[in-house]
Amino acid sequence: MGKEILEMKNIIKDFPGVRALDNVNFTLEKGEILALVGENGAGKSTLMKVLSGVWPYPTYEGDIYLDDELVRFENTREAEEAGIGIIHQELNLLPDLSVAENIFLDRHPLNKFGGIKWEELYHNAEKVLSRLNMNIDPRIDLGDLTVGKQQMVEIAKALSLDTRILVFDEPTSALTESEIKELFIVINELRSSGVSIIYISHKMEEIEELADSVAVLRDGSTIGDKINISEVTLDEIINRMVGRNIDDLFPTVDFERQEKILEVKNVSVTDPFNPDKKLVDDVSFAAYKGEILGISGLMGAGRTELVNAIFGVYGKKREGKIFLKGKKLDIKSPADAIDSGIALVTEDRKEQGLLLDKDLVMNMTLPSIKNFSSKFVMDTHKERTVTNNFVYKLNIKTPSLDVFVEKLSGGNQQKVVIGKWLITDSDVLILDEPTRGIDVGAKTEIYKLMNELVERGVAVIMISSELPEIMGMSDRIIVMSEGKKTAELEKSEADQETIMKYATGNKGAE
Amino acid sequence: MKKFIKNNGTFIALIFLIIILSFLSPTFLSARNLTNLVRQVTINGIIAVGMTLVILLAGIDLSVGSTVGLSAVVVTLLMQAGVGMWLAIFITLIGVGGVIGFFNGFMSAKFDIHPFIITLGVMTIARGLSLVLSQGVSIPVTNRTFAEIGSGYIPKIPSLIILVIALILSLIAVFKTSMEIKNGDKVRNKAKLTFGIILSIVGFIVAFYTFISYQGIPIPVSIFILVVIAGVYTLSRTRFGRKLYAIGGNEKVAWLSGINILRSKTMVFVITGVLSAVSGILLASRLNGASPNLGNGFELDAIASVIIGGTSFMGGVGTITGTVIGAIIIGVINNGMSLLGISSFYQMIVKGVIIILAVMIDVLNRRKTA
Repeated sequence: MGKEILEMKNIIKDFPGVRALDNVNFTLEKGEILALVGENGAGKSTLMKVLSGVWPYPTYEGDIYLDDELVRFENTREAEEAGIGIIHQELNLLPDLSVAENIFLDRHPLNKFGGIKWEELYHNAEKVLSRLNMNIDPRIDLGDLTVGKQQMVEIAKALSLDTRILVFDEPTSALTESEIKELFIVINELRSSGVSIIYISHKMEEIEELADSVAVLRDGSTIGDKINISEVTLDEIINRMVGRNIDDLFPTVDFERQEKILEVKNVSVTDPFNPDKKLVDDVSFAAYKGEILGISGLMGAGRTELVNAIFGVYGKKREGKIFLKGKKLDIKSPADAIDSGIALVTEDRKEQGLLLDKDLVMNMTLPSIKNFSSKFVMDTHKERTVTNNFVYKLNIKTPSLDVFVEKLSGGNQQKVVIGKWLITDSDVLILDEPTRGIDVGAKTEIYKLMNELVERGVAVIMISSELPEIMGMSDRIIVMSEGKKTAELEKSEADQETIMKYATGNKGAE
Repeated sequence: MKKFIKNNGTFIALIFLIIILSFLSPTFLSARNLTNLVRQVTINGIIAVGMTLVILLAGIDLSVGSTVGLSAVVVTLLMQAGVGMWLAIFITLIGVGGVIGFFNGFMSAKFDIHPFIITLGVMTIARGLSLVLSQGVSIPVTNRTFAEIGSGYIPKIPSLIILVIALILSLIAVFKTSMEIKNGDKVRNKAKLTFGIILSIVGFIVAFYTFISYQGIPIPVSIFILVVIAGVYTLSRTRFGRKLYAIGGNEKVAWLSGINILRSKTMVFVITGVLSAVSGILLASRLNGASPNLGNGFELDAIASVIIGGTSFMGGVGTITGTVIGAIIIGVINNGMSLLGISSFYQMIVKGVIIILAVMIDVLNRRKTA
């Protein structure tokens, strides 16, 4: 590791009514991978926005030194020119343009008539991509690449700007295991070539594997100096993040499997854009009262499609039968599923779970709106009372019931989505990636809640891409690969290797 | 206070407009002129209430003007053919307004086609139909009672009683809202309460002065008020209203939460179709006849009222009260400029400018709060 390249000193950033950053200090060395961790709302994103010029100088207090020189960016362009790049969680690319155009968005090589020199453009793009050992044709449309490859293009774009400090904001949340491995190789190579990296992530295993050091943010302040990764345990990091002990990340309770509640027989869904491909291919399983059923698999294995099919999203195009408590259900729409007693906490809370510019009451009573009205008229008093109860029960942190849910932090938003389905009082609760992108504290609360529900007799089904979560929480695990169910494992039989083997479609000795 | 101005910008603009016009033209505030003005607002206002619901769903209905024309033609033709007045009105409301609305809503929701396209087509079809049915000429109204609907008045004494009841009801509503706020954990909004009381009383005085000192409440105006009350109640208190805000906010979320999008959308277009038919019937009655070109361009005034009233074109945000203020602003501008002798050519330009201004202010406001 080399000399100090970046120092952020006493950074303070105020928003109306809140101090988002309160005297943040940290340093970054040349060729260092620094993990920046903290719960949602701890100020990580704000800090990176200050660094990258999204919040220009007079809007924050404190000093930023690049190579011991005080810098005050007035816009993102200045930060880019100084060599600071960010790979955002949501990729910032244009799917209808070619890979090369995405890399050199407004920096095309031009001939004297102002036309683009295409061959030179592609050649330059190839040069940048080869730095990442990426075999991507710069001529094809970006939208034709997988998410993992698109991210590589984003990294290439940053490198083409002579980036010296590269920030990754939750880069792996949409990647498959193999894509993550590829990404880590690239990040390690970048480090060897002298690029300094700030790596923001919720996933402790990644940090352990990748980072040289860790800096922790809590409530807008840095907690202690950055620490060398070899001198600290994961528990200690988590302690610093939440400011309290989390003895057990997965509060497992042993339940006894009782009667069968949901039974799914031979469910198939054909890809609407490709009639030869099955998104879900002849899947059968059952969920019992008193247990959590985990559904594991890689991205694109058909897990979300399976639960969507059960929930009526594909309407009449779904094949197969669904039984609830022995009775055959005729589910043609989500409304039918809800009426039958099935609830689905969707994967994407912003696009599918929440009315972002509506208040908590409206969001939480929406699926059970019938219970809050006579034939026509809403019972607003009952609505508020029930919502208030659940806000309290779920420990949702909000100034009042009347704020728009977009103002809440990710963890609290997720609790609102879960709350809206709890109010429906369903027999089956399906959770699709219930803890994605939320902080450790909120995760544990959601796990406890799942256990509570199981205790009350709800059949809980959880999809998760995080193996420790699936193994920690589930009593039984279904593994899917390419639309098919490849394994059904009892908790005792499940370990990371076994699950991965079935998830990659490798059936081993069988 | 600053917040109050920001939240009630269009209302304050309306007050200013009225003050300026009352200085510029001495006849503007006369009871006779105000009665006329309100009557003009009525025809557009009734349609605009329906349009509010449509735009709340991030949709649009271009066919309302043609529906007005077709309804006027059909109702007069039916009566000419000897059908009784009430039956003719009923058939027109259902057969013209209801059917057109159902077609608009069902087609756009079922096949996921933007209502702009469906209603654009229906707009042309309905206009063509009214030309065919009327053979391109005006049809006179022969029924005396029918003419009363559009041009008649509720006598002064019953008018007065209605106004007093309305005042009491509106005060009760204001207090009830404030009581509810007290029961819940909502922050009590004193400014809103005072504003509500002032508005009720001022509204009463204006209505009293306008209607009682002239000839009483015009029948179309009373119908408009009923439509507005029903609309406000539907949006703020009913399950249906709640669903509309949810669908407008995010259709996918609403659908995944078990809301029947097809049914709600179809319902909204049916309501708008029927309200347009109401306007068409009132217009035929007031004009004592139906011309096939009646209602030409009405969709633009209705859409403008909704937009000036603060309903978001993106859906999910908006109120009927806002739309009513928007409709009154448009009415005041039309009426005021006519009084001042400004040619209708210039009136169009001014209206256009105001629509753009209203949307600009709205967008800038939102950007500031975001």
